[in-house]
Order: sequence, then C-alpha cells, then structure tokens
Amino acid sequence: MTRYITGGRRAGLALILLSLIISGCSTQASTKYWGKVTEPNDNVLRYITGSEPESLDPQFVTGQPEARILIGLYTRLVEFEPKTMAPIPEMATNWEQSEDGTVYTFYLRKNGKFSNGDPIKAQDFVWSFQRALSPELASRYGFLGYDIKYAEAYNSGQAFVKKGGKFLRADDADAASDDQAQPTNCGINEPICLTVSSDEETRNKAAADDEKLKAAIEGAEFVPVKPENIGVEAADDYTLKITLKQSAPYFVGLLTHQFFSALHRASIEKWGKDWIKPEHIVTSGPFKLGEWKPYDEMTIVRDPNYWDAANVHLDGIKFYPMDEQTTMMNLYKAGRVDALYNHTVPAAWNEFIRQFKDEYLLQPEMSIEYYTFSVKKPPVDKVEVRRAFALAVDREALEKYRKTVKRLVNFTPEGIFPEYEKVRKRVFSELIKKEGISQEEWNDRMFDPKHACELMEKAGYTAKKQDGGKCTVTDFPADKMTLTYNTSESNKQVAEFVQAQWKQNLGIEVQIKNMEWKTFLPYRSSIEYTGAARAGWVGDFVDPFTFLSQFYTAQNDSSTGWWDRKYDEMLDSANKTADPTKRFELLAEAEFMMLQDQPVIPLATSGTSWMKKPYVKGMYPNPGTMHPWKFVYIEQDRSKWDKAVDGIMTDYTDPRVESQIKALMKTQVDFEAAKAKQTDEKEDKTD
Amino acid sequence: MLKFILKRLLIIIPMALLVVTVTWGLIRIAPGNFYSTERKLPPAIEENIRKKYGLDKPWYVQYGTMMGNIIRLDFGDSLKYQGQSVNEIIRRHFPYSATIGLLAYILALIIGLFAGIVAALKQNSAFDYGSMAAAMLGLSVPNFVLGPILVLFFSLYLYWLPPARWGGPLYLIMPVVTLAAIYAAYIARLTRAGMLEVMRSDYIRTARAKGLDEKTVLLKHGLRGGIVPVVSFTGPALASLLAGTVVVEKVFAIPGLGNMFIQAVLNRDEPLILGIVAFLSILIMIFNLAVDISYGFLDPRIRYE
Repeated sequence: MTRYITGGRRAGLALILLSLIISGCSTQASTKYWGKVTEPNDNVLRYITGSEPESLDPQFVTGQPEARILIGLYTRLVEFEPKTMAPIPEMATNWEQSEDGTVYTFYLRKNGKFSNGDPIKAQDFVWSFQRALSPELASRYGFLGYDIKYAEAYNSGQAFVKKGGKFLRADDADAASDDQAQPTNCGINEPICLTVSSDEETRNKAAADDEKLKAAIEGAEFVPVKPENIGVEAADDYTLKITLKQSAPYFVGLLTHQFFSALHRASIEKWGKDWIKPEHIVTSGPFKLGEWKPYDEMTIVRDPNYWDAANVHLDGIKFYPMDEQTTMMNLYKAGRVDALYNHTVPAAWNEFIRQFKDEYLLQPEMSIEYYTFSVKKPPVDKVEVRRAFALAVDREALEKYRKTVKRLVNFTPEGIFPEYEKVRKRVFSELIKKEGISQEEWNDRMFDPKHACELMEKAGYTAKKQDGGKCTVTDFPADKMTLTYNTSESNKQVAEFVQAQWKQNLGIEVQIKNMEWKTFLPYRSSIEYTGAARAGWVGDFVDPFTFLSQFYTAQNDSSTGWWDRKYDEMLDSANKTADPTKRFELLAEAEFMMLQDQPVIPLATSGTSWMKKPYVKGMYPNPGTMHPWKFVYIEQDRSKWDKAVDGIMTDYTDPRVESQIKALMKTQVDFEAAKAKQTDEKEDKTD
Repeated sequence: MLKFILKRLLIIIPMALLVVTVTWGLIRIAPGNFYSTERKLPPAIEENIRKKYGLDKPWYVQYGTMMGNIIRLDFGDSLKYQGQSVNEIIRRHFPYSATIGLLAYILALIIGLFAGIVAALKQNSAFDYGSMAAAMLGLSVPNFVLGPILVLFFSLYLYWLPPARWGGPLYLIMPVVTLAAIYAAYIARLTRAGMLEVMRSDYIRTARAKGLDEKTVLLKHGLRGGIVPVVSFTGPALASLLAGTVVVEKVFAIPGLGNMFIQAVLNRDEPLILGIVAFLSILIMIFNLAVDISYGFLDPRIRYE
C-alpha cells in the first residue's frame, strides 16, 4: 500500500513537472515578442492564407484564401488601398463616370505587361470580362458582374426577342406600346432590349403567369445574347468603356475584386483547362508564379515585366496552405512564418496573445455574425416574437465572452463605413421620432429584457414577471423552434450563450442543433429550418450595399423568407442617387425598415484577430484582410519595426507606404481636379 | 497456392467496384454539394455549374459515365481543385503518406518486436514491467495528444525541430514518432503474448530436448510462431499507415492522402472521394492477401487449398 502511494506521488510529481514545462513554453511574456523573432535574412514573406487554393483562375475561385494569392498574381483596373481597401489606380490611371452614373470610362496606362511580356490593352479586359461571365466557365461569382449591361442575360443564357426585324425593348413587356422607337440591334448605347430564357420550356413557364410577356414573345424570333453584347467595350487600345444596366455607385470599388482581373487570352485559348499549370500560366500582377507544390507550398516571385516592378518591395511570397489553427500558431511561434490570415488566433488563446502588442492585430472587419429567422413559419412568423428574441440577447456580455468581436444591433457592420454610419445615426433618430419610439428605447436595443417580455405579451403569450425586467413566458411553443448552426467550436459557444440568454430572460428553452457545413447550407438556404439559424456575411466590396443587398429581390439570399417590394425600390432609388450623402440616407432608411421587421438578429461585427512579426511592414488589418502585396515590405532595421500595432490604422503612418499610395493616386487626383476646374470654368461662363 | 492467389486477386476487382458503387450512393444521399457556399447562388449560375459537370443528366447516366471511367482507371478531374485529375492527386500525395507510414511502421516493428521478445524472455523482470507499462501508455495516449506535446517541447521550448510542414529528415522525426507510438505499443504487447504462448508449447520443448542451442530455438522455432498474431495485425496496419493518417497529417500539416480524403468528403468532391476509396480498398485487399500468404511461410500448420 505504502509503495503504491509513493508511486502515485512520483507520478504526480512527474505530472507537475510536465505541466511546468508546458506552462513554461507558453508564458514567455517576459520577452517582448511571442516566440522566435530574428532579423529576416531574405526579402521573402512567408504567409499562411488558409486552405489549399482551389485554382489559380481568378474568375473561378470564390474563397478568401485564394483571393489573397490571386490579387498578387493578376492586375485589375483598380487596386485596394492597403488600409481602407478603397479603389486606387492600378491598370487604370484615371476614370470617370457619366452624369447618370451608368457609363464608366477607364483610361489605361500604356506600359502594362503580362508576365510573358505581352502588352495589356483594353481589349484584354474586354475579353477577360466576357470570359468571366460566360455560362461555359460557370463561375460561382458570375453575379458580381450583373450590374454590367446584359451581363446577367449572357451569363444566364438568355436571348433577345426579335419581331418583324426589330428587337423588343425591355419596357415593351410592361408598357406594350408600339409607338416607341425600336432598336434594330441591341447595341450597348441603345435602350435596354428585352431578354428571355433561350430555353423554350422555361420561357413558356415564365410567360404563363405574365400576359404581357406572353404577347411579347408570341411568334417572335429569339437571338441569343452574345459576349459582345455585354456592356464592356474598348474605345481604343487604352480606353475601356463599361456600361451598366442601372447606376451602381459602388461599381469602381467592386472592380478591385479578383473576378475582374486581366487574363491572357492567347495562353488560355491554347492550353484550355491546363492554362493554370505552372508551365503554362501567364499572369499580369506584381508577382508571377514560382513553384507550386499543392497542399505544401506556393511561391510567387516579383515579376520584372510588371509595370510598377520598381515599387514592388518583396522578392517573393511563400504561401503555406493549412487549416489547423494550432499548427499555424506553432509555425508562427517557432519563427517559420511571418504573418497569418484573419481569425487564426484560437479563442482560448486570445487573452494570452493579446499581450503581444507589437504583433497582435485586432480591428473590426467587414463581416458580421447573425441569426436568421424563418419568418414564414410559426412561432417566429410574428414580428413581436422576433423582436422579443432579439432584445433578449445581451450583446455586451456576448462581446466580452467572445473577446474578438464588437456588439452589433444593425445589419451593416460597425466601424467599417464611417461616413455611412454618421448618416445612418441621423436618419435613424429622425425615423424613430416618426415611429413614436423614444431615444431611450432605441438605445436599449442592445439588450432590453423588459421590452422583450412586453412584446411577448403583445404577441399573445403569458409572461410571468421576474426580477430585473426578466420574465417567464409560460405558453410559448419552444418545442416548435430550434436554433441551428454549422458545426464549429465558436458557433457552438455562441449558440449556447444565446440559448442561455433566452432561458434566463424569457424563460424559454430553445433546442440547439448543429450540422455539418455542406448539410447545413442547403437546409438553411431553402429555409427548411424552423426558428433560427446561424449566418455570417463577408462584404464583397467596401460599401453598405454589399450587406443590404442580401434582402434585395424576392429570391434574395437572406435565408429568411423575408422580402418587401418597398425595400427593393428604396435600394434602387438609393443607387440611382449620385450624391453620396443622399444615397446613404436612402440606404439607411431601407436598413431601418428591414430592421423594424427583424428577419434577423444581428449579433456581432467580427474582428480581424491575426498576427504578424514586427518586421513585416505595409501590411494592415484592413476590413477584408486583403493585402495588396506591392505595399508590403520586410524591414531589416530593428529600430523601424512596428510597435503597438493597436494604433496601426489611426495613430501613426508609414511614410514609405503613404508616399507610394500618393504617387499612385496622383493620376486620378489630377484628373479629377482638372475636370472640376473645367466644370467651374464652364459654370462661370454661363453665369 | 498459385490458384489461391489468383482467385483472391480476381475477387479484388468486383469488390473494389462494389465499394465504389456503395460510396457513390452514399455521396448521393449526403445533403449538400461541392459548389455550395455561404452565399446562395442565383438559379442561372447553379444551372451553368450543373450543366458543366453533367449533373443535369439522370442518375443512371451519371453512374454509367462514372463506372465507365473507373474501368478505364480514369477517375476524372477533382471538382474542387480545378484542372487537377484525381489520378494526379493520388500520385502526388500518396508518397507523403507512404513515407511517414513506412518509416513509422519500421520504427514500430523494431521497437515493438524488440521490447516484446525481451519482455517475454525475461518475464516478470523490471524490463518486462517497464516496457509493458510504457506500451500501456503508448496505447492510451492518443496521437492528437502526443503530437502536440512533442511539438510543444521540441519545437516551441527547445526550438530543435520544425513544428510542422514537409522538408528534410528533421521534419519527419516527430510525425513518425507520433504515428509509431501506438503501433509499437500494440506490437510489443502482441509479440510478448505470442512469444509467451509459443515458448511454452510442446514443439519448443521438443526442440530444446533435441539439444538445439537457445538462439536457434528462439529465432527459428519460437519467433516464427510467436509473431503470427503480430503479422495479422501489422498487415492491415501497414495498409492504413501507408494510406495516411488524418490526425498526424493535420497536426504536422503534411500534404498526405489522409488529409486529402477528409477534405474531399467535406468538400463533397465526388471524383476525388471515389478515387481515394478505390485506391485504398485495393491497397487494403492486397495487403490482406499478402498477410494471408505470409502465414503459410511462418506457420507450417497453415495450408492453402
């Protein structure tokens, strides 16, 4: 017996020793940096961008891991500004838009080159855009180009309607008036022609419920929409004209997306699907493909043919594809990678990692987390019930619990669109007055159990009052409602938190259910679920519309079943407004209207949460974690390393990056100034 | 014997096709598809994709095309990784898994056999207790615990070994040890048990009575019978080691086939799933056959009809 105890003590001692070693490994906070930080001996960035890239075809991929690689490999008309992600000149030195906002003209620089030395001309962009939208490519991101005239019609394989040698106009189907001037071809500059499905069956089905359409297509000839019909044309070798179907003030920002890259026609046509192979690929960006060992390492190297190669600081970038957070953190700590992508710091480590102030980057992201309601199914078909559930979640407590997110009660993220937020605040305070909501009640939307209980009563349920404004709703059919989320540790934590909140504040115990990602997606998007489901949304471009468009059109992507024609009209009229403030006002009104119906519970604006070694400079925790690589450099001089990176976005600037941005911006700034002067002169003359 | 081998080899083909068919059915039943993302696709775009990948055709046409391809040993292109054929992916990633698998297998055999034989011969000695306790530990510490502990100590505390990825021999040490631990432990216990049983049997007593020296008794008579249970364990074990082990590949970010397989399932990458399933099932059947054949050499009592 004694011997046994001694053995046990020994084992205990060994365990303590082991845990000491382990804790010794993880609490080296006495040094300034986390793990190994030594002066880099080359000019190559080692970066983890996430999973293995699906492809190197920028028009095919949809994921962020790929996007980060591809913006290094391909040039677009405009590039991201490294901090704000606003569009700055890239292949286009300057651009302008028509008065009605539907035609954009881009003036291209003449020294653009592909990696094989071929010049990049306006025709290359025309062909690239046509390819991006072709039904044969079947790009999942095809809809990104749908603002362009006939892009959707071409991408969906539609056809023009020809009758008596003339094409029908889009408004013919509505107005059915014969006296309008009818175009003899559906050119880019002519009024929009009517397009219908090329497939007879689909076409007849659509016409079955639409008398006017039926009359329009009867006895007509159908001419398929061709790539050259799309509103993208080269006025000359270095002038690109893009015509939209209606004005879209966010359009230039959208063109920063890799979907709108310049691709090399000859090599793609020659090699077919193999064009992305390292031995065939021709790229157009600041870097070209070096070595590619799938699932292991991809190297891109500075391309001497790139027009701005002199201002590309890195010799190359090594991307290591990886999924495991812990493994990435280990490599970072061991000094084997220089920077990580967003959300890589595991939640449990956050408290500890935060103390490395020169390395940990936490800023708000252009991405939100929320729960959707299945608004057509009881018991959440009543707006009072939905609002009660939304009000019964203490978002401040959630923020503290999650550590990397910011509380959210509106649908557009906080801290990303400062101008819009200013306008929205004003518009909302006007609107609540109109609706008879007190400012106090409005401010309490973050968490208001008392009001939640009142709403439950208003919805016809019995709420027994408890202390602190809480209540117990006795007759709520909780069994008819589930909170479904896709399997992940952090989603589970949030679901359990919200479940507990509803239990505490409303006395309602909702079941939570998790599902594998690919099983969950169709389940949610077809609104099979009852109650609530988890959702997240990452903006595609820096404009509130990228969030608000989720509820746009009857077949919208909100996974809630919510739709209001008035909401569509509000967004349309906003996008037709040229004045930015005015436009934001209209968008804010639409957001208010949607929020009043509460088809979703906004929970949080995500945070970037990633790390970089202090010698990596020109890389910022911007809202989309998109790094225009030509601004990134490695600083050998220790005294110039980044410090206190919490303030990297606001407190200090990097003169090297600033001057680089300024030099790039110059062409557009000068162009706008010259234009403004011209307009002033004209006005003076007319005065 | 030859007839037996031929028969078994011939069975592998229909078996593999059956496995592929069942897998294909299971993928079809599983909800979700390879192109779904957070964003719901506009119907026209979904239609484009379905047309491009032939998903708009009836199921029997799709099944026929798939089977036709497989019989020609062409699994087609991955749906997730554009322009990469399944054959190419397997060819590229199998060597990673096979390298660490084979090294782990050899390491496990060396440690396991040595510890098992010595423990059996010196039954109830300090070595016996010590090695069997270590084996017990090896069996009960899962590799997703052992791997990170090794990383913590050797990579993040001592900075001796790289914490992950593929590279020179230094990169192999921790994954191989992590992978080998549980197999070494199992082999040690099996060897010890097998040896103990055999060393007490009549024919060993006969061998000793014939005056053979202890070395011959042990290596020629004892070991051959003693390791039969080890062989029946290590045959399939080798197949699964070579095929890639998800946990170790994930922890050490090794681009092996095991990792690929899991990703393929999560991505609903049908051709890749089918390709890997077919490849692995054939691999496992061949190894099982090899094990069955080796019995005949190890144990003269086993005969093939």
